[in-house]
Amino acid sequence: MNPWPIILADLRNLRWIAWAVPLVVAVAIAIGIAVSAQDQALRTASARAADDFDLLVGAPGSQTQLVLTSVYLQAEAVGLIDGGLLNRLNDDPRVAAAAPIAFGDVVHGYPVVGTTPAFVTRWGRLKPADGRSFTEENEAVVGANVALALGATVTPSHGMAHNGALGEEGAEEHAHQHEHAQYHIVGRLPRLNSPWDWAILVPIESVWEIHGLGNGHAVDEAPLGSRFDAPSIPGVPAIVIKPKSVAAAYELRSEYRKGGTMALFPAEVLVSIYRTLGDVKQAMVIVSGFNNALVLVATVSLLLTMVGLRQKRYAVLRALGAPRAYVLLAVWLGSTGLLALGCLLGLGLSLAVSWGAGALIEARTGLHLPIALGWSELAFVGVLLAGGGLLSLIPALFVYRRPVGPSLR
Amino acid sequence: MPLSAAANAHLSSPALIRIENLNVQIAENGGQSILDIPAMTIGEGECLGIAGPSGAGKTTLLHVLAGLSPCQGTIRWGSRDLSALSERNRDRWRRDNVGFIFQDFALVPELSVLSNILLPISFDHWRIPAQHRAEAAALASAMALPELSRRAQWLSRGEQQRVAVARALLRQPKLILADEPTASLDKDSGLAVIELLLTGARQTGATLIAVSHDRRFLDRLDRVVHFDQGRIVDSRGDLS
Repeated sequence: MNPWPIILADLRNLRWIAWAVPLVVAVAIAIGIAVSAQDQALRTASARAADDFDLLVGAPGSQTQLVLTSVYLQAEAVGLIDGGLLNRLNDDPRVAAAAPIAFGDVVHGYPVVGTTPAFVTRWGRLKPADGRSFTEENEAVVGANVALALGATVTPSHGMAHNGALGEEGAEEHAHQHEHAQYHIVGRLPRLNSPWDWAILVPIESVWEIHGLGNGHAVDEAPLGSRFDAPSIPGVPAIVIKPKSVAAAYELRSEYRKGGTMALFPAEVLVSIYRTLGDVKQAMVIVSGFNNALVLVATVSLLLTMVGLRQKRYAVLRALGAPRAYVLLAVWLGSTGLLALGCLLGLGLSLAVSWGAGALIEARTGLHLPIALGWSELAFVGVLLAGGGLLSLIPALFVYRRPVGPSLR
Repeated sequence: MPLSAAANAHLSSPALIRIENLNVQIAENGGQSILDIPAMTIGEGECLGIAGPSGAGKTTLLHVLAGLSPCQGTIRWGSRDLSALSERNRDRWRRDNVGFIFQDFALVPELSVLSNILLPISFDHWRIPAQHRAEAAALASAMALPELSRRAQWLSRGEQQRVAVARALLRQPKLILADEPTASLDKDSGLAVIELLLTGARQTGATLIAVSHDRRFLDRLDRVVHFDQGRIVDSRGDLS
């Protein structure tokens, strides 16, 4: 038997409803999946961005703010800690490496981050994708997404706020330019899929010097990032530490939580953020679940009504000799087909929504979200489709069991 | 002579259908009988008219004969007792032996002329055999139907009923049941459908049972049985 002619006719008979049902189902599904996919992507991206930040030391205050500012480069004023700490940490046998992170200046809206050449290459893990790392105080290395060419010369401006579009110099930025300070761009980092892709990395010595604090060294010609031996070492907003072992990490974290500093693992802050995100996600998943159930029930009710209006058609088919299984299949496949189309559209729409939301988040935070549909999302759609398929049996069985004679009249 | 005996007296051909003690009751009306036929025989190749006022049980008789409504009593198809068949076997029997024509045509308006004619074939086949396609096209041509790809909803009423007749005749059924086939048509279209039905039935040797109020139609049938309140009140032979 081939019920497709009747399925096709029924769909034509439904007219706009045949489009509306899959669209409504698609929107309901897309909301559920987008929430889940976005949450997963946000966790993956934020955890990956914090990979090179084992331990952070900053001024006492908000742990979350220190992580957001140092790891995700979300510009906020934070307190400074004694720059001399850098030497103490580099001398500490439990520390494999330590680097300052200093921010506050911008170039065309891109944050300028002062650090050491060692941290630019993430202690040897990275190589510039183009050019080289900085070796002079007036040199800079840009992130993968910074729209500045190698060889360009730029002037940094003081201030956190940036009113123009990224890549353009705003009026306020221009008004706060550091006179006589320039950076020559000598290298570009590979893509890290983190906010650092939008940053301009410069020697910490330059940041201090531009702000009239000296360069942290006893002599001007000292190699960049070498031991800071000036009589007075300027302060820094944060120091990132690579401990030699897990035990060392915990000891350092404990030790630098007193005496005017705050030490933390970015991961512990992320876990706390994830917990809050998880609560929000849980609430949204519950709401979305109810939403999906309601949409399914409403859809099946609508299909049941439509089948009720067409019962004479099915009775005629029986009178012409159609087996009961034929009309059951025609109604069930038609209804399930609409739901399946809605599920497929929902998957596509959820990807589109997730990519759109991901692009917005990336534009705002620099964090690249790896949006992908996992097995859990596909299983979610599979369960919905199976539930919809079962519910679609209701109108099909309604037709299957209905006596033919009365329906023909 | 009792009327039930008169309903059988005409037969000159072998019996195709024998009805014995047929009774149809409706539960909603306190179990009142709406059709009560002690005995009736319909011959092979006979063209039988069923007439009577509204509510006389004419359409119910067609539904019962097609196995679409439950009933008490016996309906024999040759040597087979149709009322003893399972639902599945009754569907199969109907598919193989019965062509149905309705007053309101009962086409699927969203399908083409050809798809409507071939619809009963899709009950058995996933892909319509070429032979059936050719037969459907020949029937459509014989019935002067417009292009085969045209949707049924765009046809005139007369054309729609001709499609319905073609659909009923396609499988060359042994029994054609027609419920008021000319009632919704103008005079010319009605005459054309009468001609097509009678020609189709006689060419294939099918038995035609037609419920009708149309004298032009009834006058051309072999026999007309009149019903009133579910009972046979008159039966006579060729009225011509």
